[in-house]
Amino acid sequence: MITQEKYRTTVKELLSNGTIKMAIGYKPGSTPDRRRPLFIRTLEEADQLVLDSTCMTNLSGYLVTEGLLSDEKRVGIFLRPEGIRSINILAAEYQLNVDQIIIFGFDSTGREVRPLQGRNAEDFTALLSEIKENPPVIHKEPLLERIEKMNAKERFDFWQEEFSRCLKCYACRQACPMCYCRRCIVDSNQPQWVNTSSHTLGNFEWNIVRAFHLSGRCVQCGNCDRGCPVNIPLRLINQRMAKEVIDGFDHFAGLSSTQEPVLASFKKDDTETFIL
Amino acid sequence: MSEPFEPKIVAFVCTYCTYAGADLAGTSRLKYAPNVRIVRLPCTGRISPMFILKALQKGADGVLVSGCHPGDCHFTHGNYHARRRWMVFRALLDFTGIPPERVMFSWISAAEGSKFADLINSVTEDIRKLGPFDQYQELIKETESPATL
Amino acid sequence: MAKIGVFICHCGENIAAKVDCTKLAAAMGEHPGVAVSVEYKYFCSDPGQESVKKAIRDNNLSGIVIAACSPRMHEATFRKACAEAGLNPYLCEIANIREQCSWVHTDKDMATAKAADIVRSMVEKVKRNNILQPIEVPVTRRALVIGGGIAGLQAALDIANAGQEVVLVEREPSLGGHMAQLSETFPTLDCSQCIMTPRMVETAQHPNIRLLTYAEIESVDGYIGNFKVRVRMKARYVDMNTCTGCGDCSTKCPVKKISSEFDCGLGKRTAIYTPFAQSVPNMPVIDKANCIYFKNGKCKMCQKSCQINAINFDMQDEFIDLEIGAIVVATGFQIQNTALYGEYGYGKFPDVITGLQFERLASASGPTAGKILRPSDGKEPETVVFIQCAGSRDPSKGVRYCSKICCMYTAKHAMLYAHKMHDGKANIFYMDIRAAGKGYDEFTRRAIEEDEASYIRGRVSKLWLENGKMMVRGVDTLLGKPVTVVADMVVLATAMVPQPNAKEFAKTIGIAYDEYGFYNEAHLKLRPVESSTAGVFLAGACQSPKDIPDSISQASATASKVLALFSKEKLEREPVIAINNEATCAGCWGCVLACPYNAIEKKDIRDRSGKLIKQVAYVNPGLCQGCGTCVTFCRSNSLDLAGFTEKQIFAEVMGL
Ligand SMILES: Cc1cc2nc3c(=O)[nH]c(=O)nc-3n(C[C@H](O)[C@H](O)[C@H](O)COP(=O)(O)OP(=O)(O)OC[C@H]3O[C@@H](n4cnc5c(N)ncnc54)[C@H](O)[C@@H]3O)c2cc1C
Ligand code: SF4
Ligand code: SF4
Ligand code: SF4
Ligand code: SF4
Repeated sequence: MITQEKYRTTVKELLSNGTIKMAIGYKPGSTPDRRRPLFIRTLEEADQLVLDSTCMTNLSGYLVTEGLLSDEKRVGIFLRPEGIRSINILAAEYQLNVDQIIIFGFDSTGREVRPLQGRNAEDFTALLSEIKENPPVIHKEPLLERIEKMNAKERFDFWQEEFSRCLKCYACRQACPMCYCRRCIVDSNQPQWVNTSSHTLGNFEWNIVRAFHLSGRCVQCGNCDRGCPVNIPLRLINQRMAKEVIDGFDHFAGLSSTQEPVLASFKKDDTETFIL
Repeated sequence: MSEPFEPKIVAFVCTYCTYAGADLAGTSRLKYAPNVRIVRLPCTGRISPMFILKALQKGADGVLVSGCHPGDCHFTHGNYHARRRWMVFRALLDFTGIPPERVMFSWISAAEGSKFADLINSVTEDIRKLGPFDQYQELIKETESPATL
Repeated sequence: MAKIGVFICHCGENIAAKVDCTKLAAAMGEHPGVAVSVEYKYFCSDPGQESVKKAIRDNNLSGIVIAACSPRMHEATFRKACAEAGLNPYLCEIANIREQCSWVHTDKDMATAKAADIVRSMVEKVKRNNILQPIEVPVTRRALVIGGGIAGLQAALDIANAGQEVVLVEREPSLGGHMAQLSETFPTLDCSQCIMTPRMVETAQHPNIRLLTYAEIESVDGYIGNFKVRVRMKARYVDMNTCTGCGDCSTKCPVKKISSEFDCGLGKRTAIYTPFAQSVPNMPVIDKANCIYFKNGKCKMCQKSCQINAINFDMQDEFIDLEIGAIVVATGFQIQNTALYGEYGYGKFPDVITGLQFERLASASGPTAGKILRPSDGKEPETVVFIQCAGSRDPSKGVRYCSKICCMYTAKHAMLYAHKMHDGKANIFYMDIRAAGKGYDEFTRRAIEEDEASYIRGRVSKLWLENGKMMVRGVDTLLGKPVTVVADMVVLATAMVPQPNAKEFAKTIGIAYDEYGFYNEAHLKLRPVESSTAGVFLAGACQSPKDIPDSISQASATASKVLALFSKEKLEREPVIAINNEATCAGCWGCVLACPYNAIEKKDIRDRSGKLIKQVAYVNPGLCQGCGTCVTFCRSNSLDLAGFTEKQIFAEVMGL
């Protein structure tokens, strides 16, 4: 509550003195544990701001898809550490200019929300480095471990079972801040790389492509997981890929806004033990 | 007695090194298993993970991806980029249940005709042992049958 | 509708023995879109090619597949035949059923089945081939040579002598580079100045060469055949058009104790100076940092002494914009800072000098008029210790590589010393003697056998002063015990390293460099004089340590590359290049970063009123080499590669 009140005041202050033209935060949703995005442009709107542990959605995607930054004015945004990472990636991939972003950082343990120190993306570098070294345990970790322990056949069956439910609704893509392309390779039909029919093969291909495109870019915000109407544990694949790029290339996605995209760069001595 | 299983293998190779190495195996009249079909690309940098998925969709039991050794890329860096992508893509396939033994990567230079021949033989033998990629064939079959309402 | 012709070659028995060509031709004839499917003994023969051409014309074919030997053998042949028959040459594909099928398989059925797969997938590919035209890039026939050392001079003269225009840019006030500083040169011991000066003069007077000294490259834009280069002409404060090079100004300049760069600190110069007596152009510059007038507004002695009033203190830097077709980078090297080696006492003891300083001492036009004298007291040294590999081949402190020239010049120094000081004793500490080259081993042998240089195999660990003498301690690894020798003078064979600004400079011109800052060649073995950027070539020690003959060979090689480029008005290149779909590009610039050739630029898309809507990737066809690395990276599938398009490869795989 205290954090929420403080932030309401801060937002009002920054709005009135013209530092930001708007702030993106949360407001109550349809059920008590759901929150909806709130676009604050006036002082009255600031009073609707809610900040509690159920504010999960990573809001950074709105900055890009809604074209909110095209007038070069500053926008404030409420972000968890994962959200800050995604801001860094979006900046590193030239989708936004970090100087335009004022960050209202927060995090939560249990039901308690606390603010994060800092305003600009670079203020959080130390915090992000700390998270890189000691990653938080993610709630689905046991399932990840279970999958790792399976043999290839079992893993294949596990995922086919999951993917067979996929509707190709692309809600996961819509929800992910990293999926900002106007057209995705799955939408390209010349050639049709990914089967569009909702057979499991096409679903599998789609999910593989999605995970590949997010390798080294996913920040584990969980927007995709929460967006999926049929509850496919999408983030697990991304989580596995995040581990791969950390172990292989020491690349922690979104550590800074000047980070080189991991799959557009290389080191001459990258590991290659798997190459015959 | 049943016929031995003849696996279908698709290889994606760069034209300057591995393709030339395969040609050298030919001009040296080395003999190797006839199970591999080669797709020639200018550089390993051009080899997209999508190609691998499409080869699997065409019923490949195994896929081989091969190019110039590090430092030898005709385009100087294409293979360094490819190496990163392969490593990530390979892990992804592994995690989703495509056995890494079915998607292999190698460096074969234009001078390594015999490495090419040996590798094709051993890859073919390995895949033969693994048997047909039944699980994937199931997926493919489903696609080919008319969609149910 | 596709009308594809399939031509199956027997290659005598080479293919036919293992592939059932008749069966194959029949099977391919059934394949959708195939209008003609025929076999023949030798399609590469004249009648074979004629039959292909006839089939193209008679059937109005939309594409052909030649099932034969490797495309590396005859792709060009059959593309030409296509063109002659009026079909775009890029509508021809080769199915390799010889090297990769009949020659490597024994079972005829299996080989035939494989051949069928290969041909079928090629038919599917060629159905999606597009009409392509070779890319034409106009060429500005004017070369830029950067650096006026021996490599740059040679490249400039070779190009100019072949009748092409050259602009030579040298950042120092005079041409010459390091070679001008040398005394006599291995392996022939001819005087460096004597062979160098005529070249410098020839360059300056050449009608095809525009010489810009005391000038630096400000920026390079554009691409092969079409570079736009901006050169900064540093203010000399002396009008080049009127100065006669009489030297009155320097004589009158009151600041006389500036340590001379050209003499490596062993001699002195004035504030208005020419670097050395034979400078080309022989016109002074004012060293602003040391000039009294520039420091406190009073003096102008030089201006007063100049009879033709050539000195102008108000001069400013000026810029010259050049249109250039090809660039030769010949920016040379520097010697490593030897102060890194405390144990050798450089900088601490005045009589520990570098090899380059020794060159100045030995040079007839040097500060001692060619006498080997100790810097400390001007006495002739009775014993000299030479230390080889003082920095080279030393991963811990120096550089990992071999500087290549030090073994030779140390032998040369020992010889020059022996010739000048008959009783002198030369001791040389060395790791190996690397003297590969024409006349080189003979040369080092002469130093040992005729001039009695004594070689001690081992590294020096310590150097100290004892009763006014320098003591040099090392290990003789051949004898396996430590040795200590007395020295009146110590000469360090310091490592050859890149210019201090080499990396930044590489970024200015857009070429790649290695971990040290030496410039990278396009291919170490096959394209050693081309940089990774098309139209930029490398000569001399800027690419790797080199001696004079190597620098000159490479310079002449770059000249031949430049001349080949200039031999046509337009450049023709294979049209295998990337193209971008600007409508779908997300402007993430991953491709920009991934491209090995910096071929992708950011392009502004504006609306009618000129307002910037977005930025997209634009592939410069002059720079793209067609690797396709960017295509694979692009998540929005916006990029594609002509000749190996997404559609083509998809169809090829699906045809298998
Ligand atoms: C002590 C010593 C003794 C040697 N003895 C011998 C010998 O006996 N025989 C032999 O064959 N070789 C000898 N060498 C090697 C020889 O000096 C080199 O091979 C030769 O000088 C290389 O020529 P270069 O033109 O590549 O470089 P350099 O001579 O270094 O010339 C480079 C030129 O480029 C200019 N430049 C640099 N950067 C820029 C820029 N950004 N813009 C414009 N201009 C620029 C420099 O001012 C310079 O004039 C010796 C070398 C040393 C150190
Ligand atoms: S893939 Fe999912 S978890 Fe990862 S950044 Fe996108 S939405 Fe967040
Ligand atoms: S949100 Fe779920 S169902 Fe929809 S496309 Fe993504 S994975 Fe499939
Ligand atoms: S990688 Fe693709 S989307 Fe990104 S800038 Fe390049 S062309 Fe555009
Ligand atoms: S094809 Fe290769 S050279 Fe051409 S733009 Fe793409 S990455 Fe650069």
